[in-house]
This record gives sequence, structure tokens and C-alpha cells, in this order.
Amino acid sequence: MNKDNNTDKITRKDAIKKMGKYAALTAVGTFVILNPLKAQSSSVPPDPGGNPLTGD
Amino acid sequence: MTNNLAPTYQRLFGSYWVLWYKTSNSYSVVDDNFKHLLYDYLECVSLDNFKSQVASINPSLDADAIAKNIQSYLEQCNVEQSSESDLSSAFNPLKRKHSKKYNFKNNVFEVYYDSELVQKTIHPSIAHLETTDTGTATVVYDIYIENNMLCLFKNEALVKTVPKRDYHIIQGKFAMELLSFIHNRVESDWLGTFHGSTIADGKNSILFIGHSGKGKSTLCALLTANGFELVADDVSPMLGSDSHIYHNPSAISIKEGAFNVLRPLIPNFNSIPDVLFNKTKGVIKYVPCNNPSVSNYPCKAIIMVNYSAGSDTKLELMSIKEVLETLIPESWLSPNPNHAETFLNWLSATPVYKLTYSSTKNVTQEITNCFIQFGNH
Repeated sequence: MNKDNNTDKITRKDAIKKMGKYAALTAVGTFVILNPLKAQSSSVPPDPGGNPLTGD
Repeated sequence: MTNNLAPTYQRLFGSYWVLWYKTSNSYSVVDDNFKHLLYDYLECVSLDNFKSQVASINPSLDADAIAKNIQSYLEQCNVEQSSESDLSSAFNPLKRKHSKKYNFKNNVFEVYYDSELVQKTIHPSIAHLETTDTGTATVVYDIYIENNMLCLFKNEALVKTVPKRDYHIIQGKFAMELLSFIHNRVESDWLGTFHGSTIADGKNSILFIGHSGKGKSTLCALLTANGFELVADDVSPMLGSDSHIYHNPSAISIKEGAFNVLRPLIPNFNSIPDVLFNKTKGVIKYVPCNNPSVSNYPCKAIIMVNYSAGSDTKLELMSIKEVLETLIPESWLSPNPNHAETFLNWLSATPVYKLTYSSTKNVTQEITNCFIQFGNH
């Protein structure tokens, strides 16, 4: 989509101003969900091709 | 409205909220607007009530879509943790081919390996603890491959079995076993094991985090060569009862790329054996360090390490979002709600920084300053 960025910015800014928190769901990066490892692990999971136990 | 999906804990960090969900043990970082919208939704008596509230603000808003998005977010945050389903496996004494005995502060333990290859998964990082004592070990571990599964036993009872491609899980589990053994704890006492290295000045500690290859271990080796104490490399365990980081006696693993920087700083560097296990990781030297003066330290700061050739040394404040995006997916964190609350409390009191460096001299000075500054707070 070749939108004019400037126009887009102004529209977006106005929209957020008007709608406040209700605009939150359409804004980028409003939330992240992070899951810890389910089991203890050492540093880096072995990359494919480097694991000597499987001989891959 | 759907309060059973609501987060168990919420904490404000600058402009972000961190929400913890008990069902999934997940941490969600959200901005202020989203947090308030979420609670408007959760606190409405009904869906219709929420929709009319939205419509009253601005009738052009798509209340249905907003409600649907929030509900979908909450469901994603409440995916139940699958319980660990270890296959049962009977202990096989015929697998005892190689034996090594280790002594850490008079805690003697023995490990049997079924091959030299399997031995390479564990032994190099604790080789400096090896002993020729003939005394009886308090704990005996067995690590072997059977039916393509890598198994860890403690006193002939199965602790963990994983497909052998997942050997890093056995390394992590063994580290947890060893930490519990030497600190006289059980696994449920630990709040988590952070993927990061911890350095102390004799009073306080700093946790260094960052993705693999960003120079955490190299920096820690450098700092220990300049008088700081290594508390833990790679796996930094935090205890639930005091939020301190405890000593992990495993050696620092140094990749080949850092050999030239460290050779002049570490005594007898060339005599430390080269270990080649995982081809992707390349040659590694396991550099043992002196024990810290005490077994645990309060952790006063988190610093994300970023080695960048030719850069100036720079320490900048970081957002909680950036830190947690790096720390959480690479760490094990206990799902116990008390531990999650303690973790959030500790985070609230702990400044987070990003360190860019290339000069070893300047970075040592910068970290010295950090310890002075954090020690005064």
C-alpha cells in the first residue's frame, strides 16, 4: 500500500488523541507475551549440524 | 467479566506494565493505554456493558473487534503449561563405563558416563573440581544414552531423560542438581536460573545478560582477571527466599574468537585444554575461576552486554521491555506464584542498562564505577 506517510501520521495521531486507550489495540507494539523456558537449559540449544550426539 | 483470565500480578516500570499470568507462567509487557483498556474490559459486568462503554466514547469504534482482540490476548496469556512428561526409564548399571569424582568444598560427588562423547557434555566445565580422593561420594550421578535418549540419574533414580539432540536440557538439569547439592537446597527453593553471567565485588553483584556471542563470558573473564569475583557463568541461579545470586562453580566457557584478548590476562591460558564438542560452537576453553569470598550476593543491576568492535564504551539505561525480551525466553523461571512475585519485586528495585564496549581497559573502569554507584544505593 502506497499511502502518504505524512497524512497517515496525522490521521493516526488525531485518532489516538480522540480515542485514547481504545486506539491501543491498533497501535504497533502495545504488548508482548514472554514465556520462560519450561526446563533448565545450558547456554545455546545446539544448531542443526553441530550436535555430535546425533551425528547430524 | 472474565476475571479468571486476569493477570495475577501487575507492576509498573516507567512507561510499561509487566503482567504475570499464573496459568501460563508468562510475563506480558504492555503499555499504559493497553493496560487500562484491559482492566476496563475485565471489570465490566458484561460484554454488552463493555461494548456500550466503548460506543459511548466514540460510536465509530468497532467495539466487537476491540473486545475480540482483548479476549484473544487474554487467551494467549492463559495457555496452560504442559506438564513435563518424562518417560520412565529403569536404571542400567551396565552403562557405567567412565567414572569421575569431584570435590567442591568437601562436597564429594561422582559421575558415571557411558562414553567419552557423553562425558564431554558435562565434564569439561567442572574438570577443575575433579579429585583423586578415594572417599565415598555423597551423591552419584549417571549420564548415558539408551534408545536414543540421553538420561540423567541421581543415586540410581531417574531425574530426566530427553532425546539426545536436546543434550543442553541435561546440561541444564545437571547444573540445577549440582547447585542444589552444593548449596544444600532443593529445586523448588530456586526462583530461577537466568541465562547470564554474574560478577561480584565482594559486596554486591551484577548480572550480565545478552544473546550468545555478545561477549558476556569474555567480559566476565576479563573482569575476574582484574580482581572481580565470578559468581556464575552462563547459568546464574537466584534463590527465592533472598533474591540473591548463588555461586555456580562451573568454569567460564570461552570461545576461540576471544582467545587472543584473554591470553595475556589469564595465567597459563595456553595450558587450558581446547575442547571441541559442538562443531557449530567451535573450540572452547573452560577457564576455572577462584571461588567468590561468599556463596551468594544481592544482585544490584542487570547489564545487557554488547561487544562491538571499534565502539566507544557506553552505558545507557534500557527499558524493561528490551531487558525482559532478552532475559525471559532464555531463562528458566519457577512457576511458583511466590517466586514470580519475588522476581517482580527484585526487578522493580534493579536498574537495567545496556553496555556497548570494545576497549577492555575502559570497560573494566566502567564496571568498577557501576559497583561504586550501585553499592551506594
